[in-house]
Amino acid sequence: MINLYQAKKGQNLRVVSVPDIGLLQNLGLREGTYVSVKNRYALGGPVLLRVEKAFSVAVGKDIATQISVKETV
Amino acid sequence: MSDRILLMGNPNVGKSIFFTELTGIHAMSSNYTGTTVNFMEGRITIGGKEYTLIDVPGTYSMTPTSEAEAVAQKFMQEGAAAVICVLDASNLERNLKLAMELTRYNIPMIFTLNMMDVAARHGVRIDIRQLEEQLKAPVVKSVAVKGKGLKELINRLEILLKSATCGRKCEGCPWAAAKEICGRVSTQKSTSPGFLDKLGDAMLNPFPGLPIAILVLALLVAVVVFGGRGLRVPLIMLTDNLIIPAIRNAFEFVFALFASEPISYSFLYYDNGFQTGTRLFYGNMWQTVGNYAAVGGIADILINILIGEYGIFVISFQWIIALILPYVFAFYVGITFLEDSGYLPRISVLFDNIMRKLGVQGGSLIHVFLALGCAVPAILGSRTATTKKERLMIVTIVCFTIPCISQIGALIALMSVFSWWMTPAMVLFTMLMFATVALIASKLIKGSVDPLILEVPNLLLPNPKTYLRKLAIRMKHFLKDAEFPMLIAVFIAAVLAGTGIISAIAQNAAVQSIVSGWLGMPEEAVVALILGIVRREMSVAPLLILNLTYLQAFVAGVVSLLYLPCLSVFGIVAKEFKIKTAVLIFVGTIVAAIFIGGMVNQIARLFM
Repeated sequence: MINLYQAKKGQNLRVVSVPDIGLLQNLGLREGTYVSVKNRYALGGPVLLRVEKAFSVAVGKDIATQISVKETV
Repeated sequence: MSDRILLMGNPNVGKSIFFTELTGIHAMSSNYTGTTVNFMEGRITIGGKEYTLIDVPGTYSMTPTSEAEAVAQKFMQEGAAAVICVLDASNLERNLKLAMELTRYNIPMIFTLNMMDVAARHGVRIDIRQLEEQLKAPVVKSVAVKGKGLKELINRLEILLKSATCGRKCEGCPWAAAKEICGRVSTQKSTSPGFLDKLGDAMLNPFPGLPIAILVLALLVAVVVFGGRGLRVPLIMLTDNLIIPAIRNAFEFVFALFASEPISYSFLYYDNGFQTGTRLFYGNMWQTVGNYAAVGGIADILINILIGEYGIFVISFQWIIALILPYVFAFYVGITFLEDSGYLPRISVLFDNIMRKLGVQGGSLIHVFLALGCAVPAILGSRTATTKKERLMIVTIVCFTIPCISQIGALIALMSVFSWWMTPAMVLFTMLMFATVALIASKLIKGSVDPLILEVPNLLLPNPKTYLRKLAIRMKHFLKDAEFPMLIAVFIAAVLAGTGIISAIAQNAAVQSIVSGWLGMPEEAVVALILGIVRREMSVAPLLILNLTYLQAFVAGVVSLLYLPCLSVFGIVAKEFKIKTAVLIFVGTIVAAIFIGGMVNQIARLFM
């Protein structure tokens, strides 16, 4: 298990736990959600996710480090 | 609220396009009582009965995380004749989750599956009949950007309104219900992405996304500078040949009712016109009045002050319509396109790292772009900031370093007289100030800024009708908000000059040492500093009549950029925050403007 900020571009992941932030929940980033890393940004930038192959969400570094994920195939 | 129909849905699902297509031109933007949240409402006739259609702010959930989402919830609680729930077919599960929450309010619902084309491109297929079965409510498919599916929506809405029946009601977990329905009605296979998807993705990749972003922003600047300049030509003709003669005729008609003798035209327009104007502005009006009183009657004097060559009405209309409006229009043409195409969130993502280092986050950039139009909606919009510090940071940055488009127009008009490099130099200087102010403010303001969480919508070509309507509304607001304060500002100018207050201030030793000594400006520039308090472009416009040197023009630009935003901004900051904050910004901007403007002047002089 790693945190989201450690994930590499192109990796497919399953969300294990997310911090208790209303907007994350409402956007559909929840426990068990499948995501893939679309882009990463240097110098402390966000992680861009494709969530459930349906939509894209950018998550800032300081939240990404609090989201734990597991690699899937 | 039995005559209301609510348009509900996630953000960026195309609700506004439905709204534009379904209502006539008589839609208006309203404010939800007690909040800063705006929504659109318009009339719609269905089955011979009139309803009010409301474009409810987009929301992800009925457990709100922002003020706009709270308003969406309130609309549902107030009730309606029906809800049109717009679903993004390319993102069905999350959209259905909101739909499930909406079913709990016992309002008849009709669903429209929008963005069917995007879904098809992504390889998503949805069984509409099955979806209707699951929701036990009518479902219509549509591609709103292309106007498809609207007729069927109206027809079935009419049937729904007659029967007033509610469909499936979700009592359990909305996520679970959405997942279950989604699994039954949709299938996905892999497809190769289309052009817009590829472009949208490329714009998000640091390379080529960053070069594209710089190109897009440079293009926006070019649209404003060259588009604005081009538009000025016909607008100057319009103002000089149509608007001003019309105003003059109207006034002369009124005056003719009272005057016993006909007004002497040659005297009005040709005799000494320029000197009159300059005196009205910078000199002693009583002396001018005295001169005229010797020749003509009191009506002549009044007419000259109101509609003479530099009369209050002439100057204010010339400045608003022939000087500022072209740039405002060009800016909104560009920024509205960027907004409606879904490009702006991409900028937020690309520059989040830099913004984070400056003590804010990428999402704040959207407020900064809005502030380039006008600071007032940007400051109101900053209510969506999740922490107090972020909001104060946005307001500080906007008040100190972001010029509004009216001011930009006046600045470009001033700079373009000199040399091509003046405008880019001003842009670079603004960016430098932006970074400096952000860094200082993030040190001074206590608290923390929440990291970015931002959905990035699909890139799309804006719907022409929605785009044009938004543009029209913005221009209407500008004209409504600008002309009256401008008239007041010019009037104050005339009074200040006329009563000798300006010359008294300008000849004050302390003021002289600041304006002429420290800033190196001609003493008449005091007018700009005084009027700049009322409206931002007035910190530049009066300088256009003076013959400035290169350096003076640049220093004037620097001072105007950093100088106090207009009175409306001061008012809104005082209302939204404490009076103390507003006063701090008031004093801080004036001190910073004069200090840094003077530094530029003094340093440049060392090399000249």
